[in-house]
Amino acid sequence: MKRLVELDVNGEPRDAVVHPGQTLLEVLRDDFGLTGAKRGCDLGACGACAVLLDGRPVNACLVLAVEASNHRITTIEGLAEPGGLHPVQAAFVDHGAIQCGYCTPGMVLVAKALLDERPDADDAEIREALSGNICRCTGYVKILEAVRAAAAALRPAP
Amino acid sequence: MQDGPFEYHAPDSLDQAVGLLREHGSDAAPFSGGTDLLLAYKRGTLRARHIVSLAGIPDLRAIESRLDGGLAIGALATLREVAVSNPVRSTCPALAEAAGRAGSPLLRNRGTLGGNVCLDTRCWYFNQSEAWRASRAPCEKAGGDECYVNVKENLCVALFAADTPPALIVAGAEATLAGPDGERTVAVETLYSGDGLLPIARAGEEVLIRLIIPAPGPRSGSAYVKYSVRDSIDFPIVGAAAMVVLAGDGSIEAARVAFTGIRAAPFRIPELEAGLEGRDPPGAADGELTALTAKALGSLWLSDAVPHKRRVAGLTALEAVTRAAERAGAERAA
Repeated sequence: MKRLVELDVNGEPRDAVVHPGQTLLEVLRDDFGLTGAKRGCDLGACGACAVLLDGRPVNACLVLAVEASNHRITTIEGLAEPGGLHPVQAAFVDHGAIQCGYCTPGMVLVAKALLDERPDADDAEIREALSGNICRCTGYVKILEAVRAAAAALRPAP
Repeated sequence: MQDGPFEYHAPDSLDQAVGLLREHGSDAAPFSGGTDLLLAYKRGTLRARHIVSLAGIPDLRAIESRLDGGLAIGALATLREVAVSNPVRSTCPALAEAAGRAGSPLLRNRGTLGGNVCLDTRCWYFNQSEAWRASRAPCEKAGGDECYVNVKENLCVALFAADTPPALIVAGAEATLAGPDGERTVAVETLYSGDGLLPIARAGEEVLIRLIIPAPGPRSGSAYVKYSVRDSIDFPIVGAAAMVVLAGDGSIEAARVAFTGIRAAPFRIPELEAGLEGRDPPGAADGELTALTAKALGSLWLSDAVPHKRRVAGLTALEAVTRAAERAGAERAA
């Protein structure tokens, strides 16, 4: 039986009529046109569908739309600040951390969530936080460089 | 998943949840984080038409210290919450480690301890897409008559591979289940049937609500070591948890070691535990103990086709024992 779900997506109230079996990923992409989150494996193993749920990274392909009601959802489309990119996005661009771009929204969101919680995250913590996001193109080196640079940029100047 | 393969129920009390499970019987599945159940629906291996979400039931998520120094962990606590909890890290480091190695960071933000404890068994003939499995007759676990691993007896030998149960077992943890007749509390070790088809000894209308960890004794330490292909996302090829109590002279007074990823249930090896008693903590790989472990395991059904499991099991266990002993020693010195 279909039901109405009311979601907070990037600070805006959005609603959709969904079947119980519809995932948050499907609703974001097909109902709201927010195609930044990608359907990579649809099994929770690649992280290309990562969005933030109340600030925490989750695989949107494994969250039912009905479960996302009354939670804050942040997608990559909600990250840029007025007039410019979020520092994590800018660092990805500056450090050549984007090739095909498919893993990028997930990587950026996970990195942002990490740095929000642990601005002093060291290399091991960055690698661990990104360990649920797979990249086929970059070999991860530039991605890690970008996240380190974003962390430095986000830390208050001494 | 379009066209709703199931109805979604969101009860706000345990009584309601149990009532729904009872009403719909085998056509209902209790649902916590959903990271395994939704996968099963997508693969076409779970067909229950009623999902009973436990997320709206109050008081199932807290991690609380008990008066006796132990811990009560709500079954709906996420794996991440368990992994980062200071009370869990000090009371049972093996559990914090196991929860912190299950799945990936994204999966740990949704997956729950209860879900991990009740995880279905796995086999590489079963955990495949519908298209993959359509190339042959359904296996036993998928409702057919054949086992493609145990071809001689056609008995399902799907593997249990969740990370947290071995840690809970070596800690002597108990599980509380709520059902129509009230609550019952059992040793976690007894939750597992050893049957690949129906691995969890839980009545259909029962809900796992709490895990209770006893206070660790003096001079004890625990650890969990996971051997897997990748350090993230992958299930363990072998996971070993150890709890070690040291004697006054620093030798092992008692040890408990539990394994996952090897059989259809998590289990301990009494011969290995006996072999560890009275010894100094094995600093490096101990040939005698690893051989003993391999022998005790006997022949294994390779539901994930990893032929070196018997050799690796002992090595993983000894690493866990060594780390547990180090923690017990530090505890002793404190």
